[in-house]
Amino acid sequence: MSQQKKLLIIDDDPDFVDGIKSVLVGAKYDVDVAYNPKDGISALQTKHYDLLLLDIMMGRGAEGIMIARKMRKDPKLRELPVLIITGIREQLAFLFPGEPVHPRFVQVDELVEKPIEPQLLLDKVSALLQASEVRKTKPI
Amino acid sequence: MAAKHKIIIIDDEDVVLDSCTQILEGNNYTVVTASNGTQGLKLVEEVDPDLVFVDLKMPGISGTEVLEKIAHTDPTIATVVITGYATIDSAVEAMKKGAYDFLPKPFTPDEFRMITRRGLERRRLLQETIALRKEKEVLRDNYAAIVSHELKAPLVAIQQNLYALLGEQSDNLTKSQKDRLERMKSRIDDLNKLILSWLRVLSVDINNIKGSFTNLRVQTLISKALESVEPHAIRKDIEIVTTIDDPNSSILGDEVSFTEALVNIIGNAVKYSYASSKVFVTVKGKDVVIEIEISDSGIGIPKDELANIFTDFYRGKSGQVVEGSHGLGLTISRRIVEVHGGTIAVESEPGKGTTFIIKVPALTI
Repeated sequence: MSQQKKLLIIDDDPDFVDGIKSVLVGAKYDVDVAYNPKDGISALQTKHYDLLLLDIMMGRGAEGIMIARKMRKDPKLRELPVLIITGIREQLAFLFPGEPVHPRFVQVDELVEKPIEPQLLLDKVSALLQASEVRKTKPI
Repeated sequence: MAAKHKIIIIDDEDVVLDSCTQILEGNNYTVVTASNGTQGLKLVEEVDPDLVFVDLKMPGISGTEVLEKIAHTDPTIATVVITGYATIDSAVEAMKKGAYDFLPKPFTPDEFRMITRRGLERRRLLQETIALRKEKEVLRDNYAAIVSHELKAPLVAIQQNLYALLGEQSDNLTKSQKDRLERMKSRIDDLNKLILSWLRVLSVDINNIKGSFTNLRVQTLISKALESVEPHAIRKDIEIVTTIDDPNSSILGDEVSFTEALVNIIGNAVKYSYASSKVFVTVKGKDVVIEIEISDSGIGIPKDELANIFTDFYRGKSGQVVEGSHGLGLTISRRIVEVHGGTIAVESEPGKGTTFIIKVPALTI
């Protein structure tokens, strides 16, 4: 049996986090939470995670994007699969005028809208984890 | 302390320049002077003044010309013309051209101070108006983001926990409890959709979607729309019958919005249909215009309401909700179709049913 996968949620809404965390924990994932971008970044840098669930609209704006940008620059974090969770899909168009609605932030990512049905959440998470496994084992 | 107000006086008479400077001295003003129009305009560029006094009769370029140039540089700079009694007419002319006030010679120090204060007040108000207008625009532009975050965040948090609870408690809940939780879920869902619709109508400039136009097959759009509508249709035992003349019929457009327009209209057809009836979605034409016809045999729309169904949520300034309107969906749909260069029309007979006809330019390859 494969070992338990470790996930990190970065989202500033504790109630929303409770809602998805309980689903993920119920599916036997090991889940950490950071309630602001700063804690999120430091968790990413100090611990190992298999997947990140990232909220885009945090704090005074799209602070989640900053995290994605930082990750893109970091050779190690660049490989971490990310499930981007956003309040409104269209907001992303405001943030990246002229870009396609779903800009690729990192190597492996997916975008879902809040709220997210538990089954869909679990499907996306396991699909991303699998895609990242495949990437790791494939020779370049 | 507030920044000093900057005042420029342009006059060919040294006496005027000196006395004016003296009068304003000691107040919270910076006063600079010029003895002709050319020099004065150079100062305007350099100093970025709040208020400029301009003598109308000067050698070289005329006072009127100076006024025009200042208005061109920055229309919020307050200008006051200095004039002799004999030239009141030209002062009036100058004011018509945008000068804020005039100062007839000779004037007392108090008159001069008062006009200075009024001129500066004018400048302040103009700047404030512009700042407020900008703020309004910024607010409007960001409205979608702000409102969505503030309104959606709590709803989404509630919904997410409902999802989780339903899953975790499914073994412990009675059927009626489950049903009620499901109802809560669907009510919150509706609320979420409503917020999205409002945001679209009230704040998002729909023309923005033109930037993301691609080639779209009408067939794909319709099947996407049916995915969202079908669950409602099944619940009412309504069959949606689709006929497409040419499966390759395509348009140039934005997939998400156009699908939304179709969802709105087909959704309405289902909503206003009698149970166990049929809704027909028919696509005709392929070369120039593509016609998408959505018809139901439902309750129909009364004649006097027909004209209003596409009108905006807001009517003029009073902001009244259109009575008997089918809500925002049709307004949004109309806007979406129009951005795609198309039109939308409706025919209806109460008790017999309604037909919506969308016409959009076909994509010719």
